[in-house]
Amino acid sequence: MSSNKVQSIHDSIKSKIQKSEDIVLKELKTKEKNLDTFYFKTLTDETQLQNFLIKPFFEIITPDRFLSYLQSHPKIKPFESEQQTLDELIGGAVILFYMDTIFILDSRIDRNNSVLDTTVETTIQGPQSGFSESLGTNLGLIRHRYPEPSLQVDSTKIGSISRTQVMIVYDKNKVDPVVLDNVKKFLSSIDIEIFQSGEQLLDFTKKSRRTLYPTIMVTERPDRVAVNLTTGKVILLIAGSPFAVLMPTVMKDLMASMADIYQTYWIGKFLLTLRYIGLFTSTMLPAVYVALTSYNPEVFRVQLALSVAGSRHAVPYPSFIEVLLMLIMMELLMEASIRLPKAIGPTATTVGGLILGQAATDAGLVSNIMIIIVSLGAISNFVIPISIFSFAVRISKYLLLLLSIFYGLVGVIIGFFLLIAYMVSLDSFGKPFFTFIENKSTN
Amino acid sequence: MKLTGKWFSVGVLFIIISFLLTGCGFKDIDKRLFVVSIGIDPAIDSSKKYLISLKFAIPIIEEKSNESMIVSEEADTISEAVRMIKPKVDKEIDFSHAKVIVYNQKIVQKEIEPNLYYWFIRRRDIQEVSWVAIGKPSALDVLKLKPKSERLPSNSLFLALGRDGPETAYIIPEFLFDFKRRFSEKGLDPYLPIIEVNKNAFEINKVGLLNKKQLKLSLKPMETMALNFLLNNESKSALVIDDKDKRLVIDTKRVKTKYKIVPDNQKQPYIKFDITINGRIEEADFSVNNADIPEYEKLARKVTQENVYQFLVKMQKANVDPIGFGLRYRARHFEKDDWKTWQQLYPSIKFKVNVDVQIEDTGLVE
Amino acid sequence: MNRYFLYLVILNMLTNVIIFVPNFLIQYRYDGAIMSILIATISGMILMYLDSIVFARFPGKGLPEIIENRMRVPFKIILFVGFSLFWFTAGLITLLGYIDILHRFINPDLPKVWLMVIFLAAICFVIQLSTQKVVYLLEIILLLNGPLVIFIFFKAITSDYLNWDSIFEIGTHFFTPPKLTPIVVASYVFSGYTNIIIFNRLFKEKIKSINFALILGLSILNLFTSFLVPIGFHGADGAHEYMYPWIMTSDSIRLVYSPIERALFIFLMLYISITLLSVSVHWHVAFELIKGSYIKKQSKKKNWLVFACFIGFSILAVLRIDLLKPEMVIKFWLIARYFFEIIIVFCFFFFLRRRKA
Repeated sequence: MSSNKVQSIHDSIKSKIQKSEDIVLKELKTKEKNLDTFYFKTLTDETQLQNFLIKPFFEIITPDRFLSYLQSHPKIKPFESEQQTLDELIGGAVILFYMDTIFILDSRIDRNNSVLDTTVETTIQGPQSGFSESLGTNLGLIRHRYPEPSLQVDSTKIGSISRTQVMIVYDKNKVDPVVLDNVKKFLSSIDIEIFQSGEQLLDFTKKSRRTLYPTIMVTERPDRVAVNLTTGKVILLIAGSPFAVLMPTVMKDLMASMADIYQTYWIGKFLLTLRYIGLFTSTMLPAVYVALTSYNPEVFRVQLALSVAGSRHAVPYPSFIEVLLMLIMMELLMEASIRLPKAIGPTATTVGGLILGQAATDAGLVSNIMIIIVSLGAISNFVIPISIFSFAVRISKYLLLLLSIFYGLVGVIIGFFLLIAYMVSLDSFGKPFFTFIENKSTN
Repeated sequence: MKLTGKWFSVGVLFIIISFLLTGCGFKDIDKRLFVVSIGIDPAIDSSKKYLISLKFAIPIIEEKSNESMIVSEEADTISEAVRMIKPKVDKEIDFSHAKVIVYNQKIVQKEIEPNLYYWFIRRRDIQEVSWVAIGKPSALDVLKLKPKSERLPSNSLFLALGRDGPETAYIIPEFLFDFKRRFSEKGLDPYLPIIEVNKNAFEINKVGLLNKKQLKLSLKPMETMALNFLLNNESKSALVIDDKDKRLVIDTKRVKTKYKIVPDNQKQPYIKFDITINGRIEEADFSVNNADIPEYEKLARKVTQENVYQFLVKMQKANVDPIGFGLRYRARHFEKDDWKTWQQLYPSIKFKVNVDVQIEDTGLVE
Repeated sequence: MNRYFLYLVILNMLTNVIIFVPNFLIQYRYDGAIMSILIATISGMILMYLDSIVFARFPGKGLPEIIENRMRVPFKIILFVGFSLFWFTAGLITLLGYIDILHRFINPDLPKVWLMVIFLAAICFVIQLSTQKVVYLLEIILLLNGPLVIFIFFKAITSDYLNWDSIFEIGTHFFTPPKLTPIVVASYVFSGYTNIIIFNRLFKEKIKSINFALILGLSILNLFTSFLVPIGFHGADGAHEYMYPWIMTSDSIRLVYSPIERALFIFLMLYISITLLSVSVHWHVAFELIKGSYIKKQSKKKNWLVFACFIGFSILAVLRIDLLKPEMVIKFWLIARYFFEIIIVFCFFFFLRRRKA
């Protein structure tokens, strides 16, 4: 490269970078040679800079030997294009101008590389640690749990501003090529400015950008990732996020907890059944209550009908208002306990759940049976192990409730049918949402 | 954000519509009054034909339960009576839990109007599995009854007739749909259990047998039990064997009845009964000896055979057929006019009863 | 995916209760119903087999794809619109029948049009899905409902109040010569196979004969159950008095230990989803056939137009249903359907058999 050109690149980069407090432009000089460096001191690990660059610079005397040092150092890349150089600089690399050549030293600082405890998907038994916020550490965790040479890692960038580094991890022998293709197409189609976490992808999985049920899953557990790699799933690791994205995700994955494989067979199956019962009750209960009390009390046994009627005797408004009131109260409580600091959270739940509920029945605002229904619904909602899915379920019960207000029992059943039809219509990267039996991979 | 606004307005619209909901069947459970039992009596000194009574359950509120009210109205038809009762109550009448229908004995003694059971069948809200029964001295008295142990209105009747409570061979419950079927089915006649009110308790241990029109025969408790055994209904009972000098009670565990219409030489067919009774001795007025069990069995066999035979002949004489001999005959004969043949046959048909009693043990005492 | 063929046929077997099949059979209980059922079974199986071998020559293709380039456009349009009209009425009749039932038994105060609207919403959502998805839905709904169907069947069969003598009494009329109406009516349970004209898209290989054996067994069981169980419950001489013999039968089953005491409600709820599914399958075929007439020029607008027609006709039908006599209409429809089926199966057989795929 001619020295003119290098000089012009030098100048253009310098001009493109806005003047800021943390940019460092430093010239190193000895008798024989001189080296220009550009970097952001906030993004760059300066001890690495010291070790890999400054020390050798003064120790190696001849310019040629230092050039060959630079060329052979594993952390130093040669120049490709001006734009790439600029990107690397913003990403935390150090740009070196030495003897009419340009080098890029990858010395970005790796903050947040400590492994976190699992907080969202907790299990009683099994590994307790999750991912960290560092891409390299996370990849290391996966490699550690999945020591197979067939594990392949591709890299891409998402986000027009954030240009977040994303790693696509999969087992080359097990992945379904169609799925992989779909995933790559999907990633390249994403149009977003700031990309920080896998959850943001959820809205892009459907063309309409509005989807109720998640068709990708976000997990904080390396063990779940390892297990899913064996079933041929594609994993996305996002820089700066302690969550990995699993694709494709179907209903069965959303209902599975890692605890299942850390239990004996029958316990695991029992827990799984329990979860499906929870899913069913949390979606159906409020709607069924409205339908039965206001449209079809003949479905009850006579004994139950009389006690329901008795418990409602003081309630001044129709059943659906009663249900909506309680449900909204419950939602507020749930939201509040997430927002509150951990220390106050339980207090809020106690005050809200116990005292408000009791007072509401005493005041004759809601019936006793209503309290049971709403709290049972809320509790069964928490049984669903993946929180994005449990949120989706929380919302779908309102659809059923709405239909039951207008149509009674018929509406509930039709609503349930519609939910199933909707789930059936969903696809996760070529896999139907209701896949329960995995075809054995041909390999 | 534009979209959020649109969805929000849709949601608000829905809520507004839901407030406007009137009619369309939306009626809260506390705005309904549940009928638990219906009584049909003949009208007392009036130009109208019937006295229809509805027993409404009042919902359980706190500690008070088993509250009810009865509203009666005289009318020529049931619908008319119900229409007249409506303005007398403050809530919508709901028949979906009307589980007991009681006819006064006088209603069934005369020719029972088909409308008196078709009305219940025709209405969509009355269960096909409601129980029908005869009430004595009147249906209204049965409705009024409130036994001490009862927690919900009419619940003791539900328990007794549904066999959820007592398991006894003296009660032969009858469902509405079965009652109606027996009216139309050739060769199978209806029956109704009789509920008698004695002061503050009821007694169900008799059955009334109807032909296709009216009550023909009221069975005694012992005969009711026999009929129960013949219908293969409930096995648990106490079989009292009363011979001249000996008297013992067998606690029956399993009773199985089979019968067959045997065409003997095409001329004189007879009905052959095979009854097997398994049980244990529960009580005796003499000292029981294990070695004598075959003897007791023989005695029990003889007495039961005689009882059942007498009972069958009694039914034959009254020309009623609750067991369905006629239907059995039709089901086994391919001729087109098998029903006519049977009608001629039944009054003169013979019965052969063969009872097999097996006493398994003598209880906890040797 | 061969099992889907079985599902399609089973779906029709289950719907027969709504479309008055038991009523007609019970009407003819002393006049050759049993013999007719046997004849219907034979004819149904033959038609089904012929149709399946015709379509086995075109693996993975529905009728629109098969004759895409074999016919002139005007003919094609007439053919497809005619066919789809037939499938549309098939669905519509089931839908009207079931809405009538719901109106009578669950929501007597709710106007039928309201009920129709919600059903149409659900059905329209399903029919625009791809054929593959419709079949997935079919499988899932059948799997969810299967246990309930078996439960009610089992409860009915083991009930003390099922009088076998009444059933045998019908059996003694075995030798009465068959009649046309019961044959036609009974053959309805087989006609699920006709949906193959679109669903053949999913059948990549020949349908295995085990399916036919299963269908034969199930259909005989189904026909005799739907015909004889109501007779067992309501008497040989009384069952014909009921407008909905099966609903009355399910109401006559008391579930002593279940939280819902009356089996009627389980039965009705079960049939909501079965009806939805059955109508969706039929209308999906109708929709795809109409789409076949403009296979080259697909557009959203045209699809919406078709939907609008479907919805408009159904609402009109539900508003006017009281003027028509549903039982008579269904009877004539069932007869027309039978001959239509025979004609199309033989046409397919002779025209398509020799063509290459």
